[in-house]
Amino acid sequence: MTTKRKRSLFIASFILPTLVLYSLFIFYPIIRAIYISFFDWSGSSENMNYIGFGNFREMYSDPIIYKAIANDYFLIFWKVIGIMTIACFFAVALTRFRMRGASFYRVVFFFPNVLSIVVIAVLWRFIYNPSLGLLNDILSLIVQREVEIPWLGDSRYSLWALLPPAIWAGIGFFMILLIAAIKSIPASLYESAEIDGAKQWKQFTKITIPLIWEQVKVSIVLIVITSLNGSFAIVSVMTEGGPDNATQVLGYYLYQMGFKQYHMGYASAIGVFILVLSLITTAILQRLMKRDTVEVS
Amino acid sequence: MKINTNSPITRLLTTLMLLVWTVFSVYPLIFSLFDSLKDNQQFYTKSAWALPDIPLLWSNFSYTWDKYNFGSYFLNTILVTGGSMVLALLLTATTAYVLARFAFKGKGLLYYLYLSSLTIPSLMLVVPMFFLFSDLHVYNKLSGIILLYSITAMPMGMFILIGFFKSLPHELEESAVIDGASPYSVFFKIMFPLALPGLITISIINVLNFWNEYQYALILLSDATKYTLPIGLAFMQGEMQYRIEFGPLFAGLLISTIPIIIIYILFQRQINDGIVAGAVK
Repeated sequence: MTTKRKRSLFIASFILPTLVLYSLFIFYPIIRAIYISFFDWSGSSENMNYIGFGNFREMYSDPIIYKAIANDYFLIFWKVIGIMTIACFFAVALTRFRMRGASFYRVVFFFPNVLSIVVIAVLWRFIYNPSLGLLNDILSLIVQREVEIPWLGDSRYSLWALLPPAIWAGIGFFMILLIAAIKSIPASLYESAEIDGAKQWKQFTKITIPLIWEQVKVSIVLIVITSLNGSFAIVSVMTEGGPDNATQVLGYYLYQMGFKQYHMGYASAIGVFILVLSLITTAILQRLMKRDTVEVS
Repeated sequence: MKINTNSPITRLLTTLMLLVWTVFSVYPLIFSLFDSLKDNQQFYTKSAWALPDIPLLWSNFSYTWDKYNFGSYFLNTILVTGGSMVLALLLTATTAYVLARFAFKGKGLLYYLYLSSLTIPSLMLVVPMFFLFSDLHVYNKLSGIILLYSITAMPMGMFILIGFFKSLPHELEESAVIDGASPYSVFFKIMFPLALPGLITISIINVLNFWNEYQYALILLSDATKYTLPIGLAFMQGEMQYRIEFGPLFAGLLISTIPIIIIYILFQRQINDGIVAGAVK
């Protein structure tokens, strides 16, 4: 066998097993998801009716879909604001402020990030428990009378109540990304700014933000993508979309349609819709956040 | 040189916020520990943050382990996490190595294919995955879950590892080839050990993700004897509608969480590096 053939064989033997499995478990299901979305199908093979764009038309006139989209974007919006503000503040505090114990805080703040979404949901369900929970206990103490607000059971609060756990569990990850970005800024820039008498806030807006903008962008896009996909888990354990669809999100609605009500075609159409939404949202975000990249000379 | 331009008030406020967030980050786990040692009585008569009564109810842990099957969930999770970790390492390292150090036709396409697949929301795949698992006769089987987990972790690990393999010196490889070593032994005997820090980093990140995975396990495991810890815990939470046993619930929460916290404490540096390396791509 020639060396060249040997080399090709080696390359193939290292690439193909992964590619075959990847095609089977990722590429093929993508195509199949699109295929299924054109059918009216309960999941059992006998009655799979081709209905073209029927499922998508049904989505168009399904009020729950609109509710779910609104809720998804509500969560995304407040998660981006909450996570980015807090993570940015702590990242700056732990790098530029030269606080003592910075590495301790970094380790501790990441703690919630290693927890499973189910653990987070169970913890916060208990915090929100109307009669036994921590939150009402604290409120009772403050107002000096019994508070029994059903945070997750009352549609006025339930969607808002999903935000603290989501933000709480997200801070550490993005703080670490931003810390790494800030640390890669040359110290000389800050030194000359200080010689010029620039205060901390000015350094933040004129040096830090422009130079970590790329990382901020990546972080926001990541929050958006993981949120469109990840709200499913937290809704599934905390509220199951209730009360009365007040916390319904597209991901959980997909699950409910497919695996509780056996409308597999409709569920698959929602999945395709989530893909389209996430691509469009990412593209729009990239444009909105376009800002001349600052080159460090 | 005067470095600090902060006023004492800013520093004080910042310290205060850092301390508050420290409490926020750790306290839920501390009250879980307290609450896992209580009986129902204590939940109803005292406030949620009260310390548990003596004697501490350690039996909640064995109760959850036996009666709520957390022993079996725990074992399943270890199997799934361990198996997926090893398989993911093989699938990822081979592809990353070839993409990093060999030129061949279709290389750019392959790289782009994996990269773009990262933008696919995995929720879109749950319906077809359910049927794929039935077709392959791996529905309700841990082996199917192991295959799926290791393949889903592939692209992200690959991007981190490509950077790693690229940074290794070429001389070692070349001299080994001159000595007549096959490309396989170059990979397994020379490159693999050299890339160990990178391999450990991606494996730790993978272990965290596999241990906690919920979405696919929920769809693909319906037999309670096959549940992993997240599914088992979610199931137990659901049971609380019918019988309230908060002490055991928190014991179950801790059983699911303690191994991952130990791993985090031992490997927090690698986790940190992995996150940064993964997000730069």
